[in-house]
Amino acid sequence: MWRPGAAFLSKRVIEYQSGARPPHSKDGTLAIGNRQLAIYVTAAILSLIGLADALYLTVQHVTGQTLQCTIISGCSEVLSSRYAEMAGVPLAAIGAAAYFSVFSLATLAAFGYRIAGTLLTLLVAAMFLVSLWLIYLQAFVIRQFCQYCLLSAAITVGLLVTALMARRFRSV
Amino acid sequence: MAATSSAHSRPLSQPQFEDLSLDMKTFAPLLIILAVLGIAVGSVWYLTRPPEVTPTTPAASQSPQQARPANSPGATPARAAANQGVPGAEPPHTLGPANAPVHIEEFGDFQCPPCGVFHPILEQMEAEFGNNLRVTYRQFPLVPAHRHALVAASASEAAGLQGKFWQMHKLIFDNQLKWKDEFDVRPVFEGYAKQIGLDIARYNRDLTGDVVAQRIFQDGKRAHSLGVGGTPTVFMNGREVPFQSLAAEKLRVLIQNELRAGK
Repeated sequence: MWRPGAAFLSKRVIEYQSGARPPHSKDGTLAIGNRQLAIYVTAAILSLIGLADALYLTVQHVTGQTLQCTIISGCSEVLSSRYAEMAGVPLAAIGAAAYFSVFSLATLAAFGYRIAGTLLTLLVAAMFLVSLWLIYLQAFVIRQFCQYCLLSAAITVGLLVTALMARRFRSV
Repeated sequence: MAATSSAHSRPLSQPQFEDLSLDMKTFAPLLIILAVLGIAVGSVWYLTRPPEVTPTTPAASQSPQQARPANSPGATPARAAANQGVPGAEPPHTLGPANAPVHIEEFGDFQCPPCGVFHPILEQMEAEFGNNLRVTYRQFPLVPAHRHALVAASASEAAGLQGKFWQMHKLIFDNQLKWKDEFDVRPVFEGYAKQIGLDIARYNRDLTGDVVAQRIFQDGKRAHSLGVGGTPTVFMNGREVPFQSLAAEKLRVLIQNELRAGK
């Protein structure tokens, strides 16, 4: 049984499609295609960049350096604004937790845990909405942009694209 | 021994490769995730260590509880040779006696919010430490970021040419929140100039004059020679005070330590 794309698929998926019981289905995993694997690896790498970005901002927040004005400013206003914290927790730390979750889910999905792929899409969609809100705040409320915050938003958009692609290729 | 051998013999009873790949699938993602978590937590821990540990700020290594008695060993030595930098505008704007044991030099920007927060803290320190503290203010307007910063710096320097720098400095900082969103701040500062009794014609001439521009430029040169990249940047007796230590209670301890060390 050879179809376009089948060359990318492991033997197990073909077994699965031909009616054979997928191996290890008892633990919720399923061998995935190389294309999907590439997408999840991309998502994992993107989330690592996002994690580093968010951790940097968290460290800056905790050490109080976000308050200092620098030549490349903007961040000072944004990160010292009242929107930079939620109930005393720095937003950057919440972002770091979100990126770490995305990384974990993408890694699990890359190893074939299907449920992780679904959760990944949901989480990334939520992060995308939060990013939209944060960009709105920067553009219209604080009226200052912060490069690190914009980088985070860009990564979230990238993650959304990869998550949607992963869903698309799941049917292959 | 028997227990281990039985533990090892168990997988062999099953198809070897199946089992290996099952283990891979279970443990490899967990290992990767844990590794990333470890690196993340480790780097955050490393980067948020209290700055007091760094040897360049020996005075800061003492918390209020463990403040050392005067002339204890280690109170004065190991002081990093401070980069003196090029001189800034002469004469600088200073408060307090020239021979004060503690000298604080602030590089500030009138439009910078934390500088506005730091201003009353420094005033409080001046009141508390009196003749033991000398304060110098250096202009470091962050021009593209803060569009009124240069005008504010010029206004204070123009007032300085009439001997009223600190009055203007105080008015500009105290009212930072009122003027920061103005479209044109020059009328606002002119109002302050009238309030402190400046010769307005001269003030307006000086505002755009060479002397004021040169003074700000000279302070900027000094800032760059000292590696100042943001505001407020504060040096105490030639050593940079970490930004986190600029809160009143922390700064007070640093000044007290410096006084002890200087005795």
